[in-house]
Amino acid sequence: MNLKGKNVIITGCQQGIGLATMKAAATAGANVFACCQTQKEDFDSAVAELESKCNVRIIPVYFDFSDEASIKNAVKQIQSEKMPIHGLANIAGMTGDSLFPMIRQDKMEMVFKINFFSQIYFTQYVVRLMQRTGGGSIVNVSSISAIDGNPGQVVYSATKASWIATTKTLSKELGPNHIRVNAVAPGVIESLMTKTLIDEGKMDNKIKKISMNRAGKTSEVANAIVYLLSDDSSYVTGQILRIDGGIA
Amino acid sequence: MLMGKTALITGTRRGIGKEILEQFAMNGANIWAHARVETPEFVDYCNSLSKKYSVKVTPLCFELTDSEAMKAAVKIIMKSKEPIDILVNNAGVTYNALFQMSTEAQLREEFETNFFAVYKLTQYISKLMVRQKNGSIINISSTAALDANPGKSVYGSTKAALICMSRVIAVELGNSGVRCNCVAPGVTNTDMLESMPQAVVQEAVDNTDLKRLGEPQDIAKAVVYLASDKASYITGQVLRVDGGLVR
Repeated sequence: MNLKGKNVIITGCQQGIGLATMKAAATAGANVFACCQTQKEDFDSAVAELESKCNVRIIPVYFDFSDEASIKNAVKQIQSEKMPIHGLANIAGMTGDSLFPMIRQDKMEMVFKINFFSQIYFTQYVVRLMQRTGGGSIVNVSSISAIDGNPGQVVYSATKASWIATTKTLSKELGPNHIRVNAVAPGVIESLMTKTLIDEGKMDNKIKKISMNRAGKTSEVANAIVYLLSDDSSYVTGQILRIDGGIA
Repeated sequence: MLMGKTALITGTRRGIGKEILEQFAMNGANIWAHARVETPEFVDYCNSLSKKYSVKVTPLCFELTDSEAMKAAVKIIMKSKEPIDILVNNAGVTYNALFQMSTEAQLREEFETNFFAVYKLTQYISKLMVRQKNGSIINISSTAALDANPGKSVYGSTKAALICMSRVIAVELGNSGVRCNCVAPGVTNTDMLESMPQAVVQEAVDNTDLKRLGEPQDIAKAVVYLASDKASYITGQVLRVDGGLVR
């Protein structure tokens, strides 16, 4: 999997799958526009270290996904670098777990705003840049909860399901412009949030249902995203790739 | 991506299999290259790949539908004492006939090669993989297994059978470190296309999002990815490599 000479935009780079994808993409040779919400010193130093280790450019882009003007500014910053854009990984997102009767409208609107509306808006801008490049690859992060359902995650799952429809539709709309559009659907992934639950055995019932009998790592999702960004997946488009260790 | 791994790939003389063979060699794998009949050209080709990529490509020629021959071939692999990390079940034959015109003889023959032989070979090889607690199996299915294509009731059924088999293998052997996935190529530029009228091929191209045929390299690269440790948490999946074939 090679991303040498490619310039990719990755959102949600400060933690979890986004952070792992930034590392995997840089390791594969890509220059990365690393999109995050707030500037943090330890992130800046991690970026500097990764840049020198991989001999690539990593350009942090700070903006707030809940604010349209902020998104527009971020795109302007990316444009000002005058680099052709070859890839976009839409990873930023939030959960908003609550049982169905307890869902509050303001919370629901917030989760949809962050996980869907804002990212559509951002992607619209990036697609224009990609069309100028002559093509590219977009990878969206859905979830197996969007396909299988998960109690307590009506809102989150619905936002992630919206990416399945978007992925398939965009593949059809943008394919003729040589832009491939795919999604990954991660299963149970070890993250800061789930690690304690896993260690305490609170996820045992879920893990028992996984063929590989373990949770996945963020790096394993990142590798799939890098594969879909790279030319190794040159004829793959409109697909939803489950990365779930096998759930029957 | 496959440095230090050993793979068995079936049907490597031409088409998609030949390209998988080359891509695997390029990525550093040692390979048992299966073909039905051993010809000097095939042996030469394997040798040239070995030299070009500094790997070991060993021809392993037998008729997949001959169970004695298969057993003997598996013995050769076992005798080598080398672990077998990857199995790619690529060999297959196509058959086009409308449902009401398909003959029982053809139906049986197609299942013999495209499914029964694959099932048996995978049983043998997966036993070795379970013993070493590691392995990746890739079955080459087809979009014809997932979509309803006129004339493909027989071929599509054999390829659909592979999908069910793969998913069950993923569940049964996941705990033993064996992953199993399918690649489902769409309309791909190989000899198999010659059996299809030009107009049908053009229509298929128009029906893809990318407006082109798949090339064997496109399919081979997907197989390399799923076979590699980069796909370490992917199992039981069917990856369509079809350029976005409109269904």
